[in-house]
Amino acid sequence: MNLMCILYSVVPTYQPAQKSQNKVRLSQVKVFDNNFKRRNMAEEYKSLHPIKYYRDCLAHDIRPDGRAFDKFRPVLLNIGSIDTTDGSAIAKVGKTTIVCGIKAELCKPKADTPNQGFVVPNLELPPLCSPKFRPGPPSDQAQVLTQLIADIIENSKCVDPKDLCIYPDKLAWCLFIDFVCLNYDGSLIDACIIALVGALHTLTLPSVDYDPSLDNKLVNLEDRKPIPIHSTLISTTFVIFDDKIILADPTVDEENYCTGIVTIVLKGDELCCVHKPGGSPITEDDLFDCIDKSKLRSPLIQNLIKTALKQK
Amino acid sequence: MKRGLFFNIDKSVRLQQINIISCVTMKELRDEPPICLPGQRLCLSDKIYTSGQGTYERRGYIYSQLAGYVDIVERDGVKVVEVHTSGEQTVVPTQGDIVTAQVYIITQQHCKCFIKCVGDAVLRRPFRAILRREDIRATEKDKADIYKSFRPGDIILARVLPITEAHTYQLSTAENELGVVIAHSEHGHPMVPISWTEMQCSKTYIKECRKVAKVVPENVDQETLKKRKKSE
Amino acid sequence: MPVDHKRINGPEETVPYSLFTKLNTKSLQQQFKEQVRDEKRSDNRLLLEHRKIFIKTGLVSQAKGSAYIEQGKTKVIVSVFDPREIPNRTDYSLKGEIYCEFKFATFSCTKRRLHQQDTEEKQYSALMKQALDSTVCRHEFPNFQVDIYAFVLHNDGSALSAAITAAGVALAHAGVPMYDLIVSATLGIQQNIKLLDPSVTEQWLCEMPVPLDGKVGNQGVIVMSMLQSHEQISQFYQVGNLSLEDITDSIKILENACKELIPLIQKHLVKHVLKTMKNKSEDK
Repeated sequence: MNLMCILYSVVPTYQPAQKSQNKVRLSQVKVFDNNFKRRNMAEEYKSLHPIKYYRDCLAHDIRPDGRAFDKFRPVLLNIGSIDTTDGSAIAKVGKTTIVCGIKAELCKPKADTPNQGFVVPNLELPPLCSPKFRPGPPSDQAQVLTQLIADIIENSKCVDPKDLCIYPDKLAWCLFIDFVCLNYDGSLIDACIIALVGALHTLTLPSVDYDPSLDNKLVNLEDRKPIPIHSTLISTTFVIFDDKIILADPTVDEENYCTGIVTIVLKGDELCCVHKPGGSPITEDDLFDCIDKSKLRSPLIQNLIKTALKQK
Repeated sequence: MKRGLFFNIDKSVRLQQINIISCVTMKELRDEPPICLPGQRLCLSDKIYTSGQGTYERRGYIYSQLAGYVDIVERDGVKVVEVHTSGEQTVVPTQGDIVTAQVYIITQQHCKCFIKCVGDAVLRRPFRAILRREDIRATEKDKADIYKSFRPGDIILARVLPITEAHTYQLSTAENELGVVIAHSEHGHPMVPISWTEMQCSKTYIKECRKVAKVVPENVDQETLKKRKKSE
Repeated sequence: MPVDHKRINGPEETVPYSLFTKLNTKSLQQQFKEQVRDEKRSDNRLLLEHRKIFIKTGLVSQAKGSAYIEQGKTKVIVSVFDPREIPNRTDYSLKGEIYCEFKFATFSCTKRRLHQQDTEEKQYSALMKQALDSTVCRHEFPNFQVDIYAFVLHNDGSALSAAITAAGVALAHAGVPMYDLIVSATLGIQQNIKLLDPSVTEQWLCEMPVPLDGKVGNQGVIVMSMLQSHEQISQFYQVGNLSLEDITDSIKILENACKELIPLIQKHLVKHVLKTMKNKSEDK
């Protein structure tokens, strides 16, 4: 309710002031009525002048969805609900929904890294999740985000490829970690990382008896063990609006109309990755401020993951 | 099925409808318009009742096309049965609709726009449309110049012309109430109309040419605002 | 297979570990008998009993309409988008078009699937389109196409019929004009035993001939979609070998099965309408 009042008071964008038009004809009223004086006026304004709409809202210290600038959306995590996978999780950050499923397969290690297995992450942004995407090969955005996730996994060593080796140079695990976005409403990486951590914690691999002399493998489905997870990652996204305002946990519209975006990934208390692809510059103080905010958020998410694991 | 089934306000008739949609309790339905689902038979189609928006006719009956509520509008002595969705309606612009569009390309002969709203319904996906030079104004059509009427970024009100074989919508602003409603000057400041062919920048006071739409003055706008505030 | 440069590819050759488990030596016949015992199935269902169904709308806020369906363990999400101009077309078409895309998640089945649409998914897309073409009032949006995307998160049998049912709900949720509500059901037949809403193992066993006492009986899978109030069949798809009588019987069974689903869908849509109407009046 409060928000709506603000919107109405900032909405006048069209002010015909001269006297010559003071005679109001009925037909004119109707036209105006049809187009601007309705309940969904705010929505229309948003559709026609999105950037201005955001500026007006932000000038009143509030975001269009009613959050304060540094407020995060609620996070939900559900783990282990898909039993065709070896580990799975569904994470929701606000309305953004990511499903992460891990499937393990057997393969031969690479010759130059004989004692390492493989981790193959892929993020799918199907046309289902947003009208922005079309059927066909992955969009540029999906490719960029996939690479970013791959880098985060590799740098943080949350899964060590060495743990995935069964017999050096002969047999290793390959983890296919597939992320699917079901609803795209901003802060994708945050949701992906939460889903990833959740899925990794549920991941179990069957034990394998390997006889190198005969190249004979026997998989014991009954004997499943979790793999060691070396760190818990937490990602937080911020957007910069008009070079000065910083918004935490952006929605998709905020991401579209912002001038810069920063993603900070923490590994425990350590900084694991800061991703800032161009856009407007950010001052050092602001960046530290963002890092502090993500540090404050990190225990909350860690608690969430713990509770989700307990509930399983 | 009897004629006009649940349109009589009779309570027993409403109960019949509840049988159709089995799960709605009596309490929920009271004082509320009847709810219907796609494919639900509404009533007989005859001289009194005809099929309107959101319904279709099949073998002498009127059926609903949408999940929403039933509405009856009386037009020229005929009761038109309409069904409206409770949420956003899926609309495509049709001939005669007034649309809000944003200009994005101008050439000598035409300008291209995106239709953003149809009537009062905001579209999630804009539709492409074209406005030809001869459709800008009603009189002295040949004198109209595209670049003196519209600029990229302008928000215009326009009417949808009959749909032809062409693939995109054609628009017309050949009415007093149609034309530019929101525009920004070269420097990016909002402009205020000063006549039906000119607008003035609110900061720099530079005048620019536009085909301006006549719209309600501000005082009306303020009054409704006040009323709204009081009611809140 | 050409290399997919737009995704991260793993090592060239990987094999699912299930290939190296202790060999499953049971014959198909034994396996089928394990599934169906004394008119009861492995999950304690009767032969002609649906699994528990859960439907939710509005899960995809970015889409115009969406529906999520859980049928036992099978989980499908469908979203519907606003009409858009038909790409790569210059002529005028009086009727609008429907574009359907059916996709399994890579992790949805026991064997890992590829990211690209395979032939099975293409076929399912075509069947979905066939079912929905006659449901949607296509004359209401000439020259436009409505996109419908179905995504299977977890396949435990009857995924296509779940997707069609969900698509019907999603279309109604999106406010796309429709002639009728559409529901769909799957029936598996093996050795003259009919199994409604088969699980993935049951479906797999029904899809291949299992010899019984040296003879091969009737077997197959039927997916049928129905328009509810007009009682019309909008789509019928059958694989396997079935006698004419069996098919007539099956149609009757499936007709009843579809009718059983209708109240659930109606209930859900009415709830949705009431909810949005309430929200609207609160806004005012």
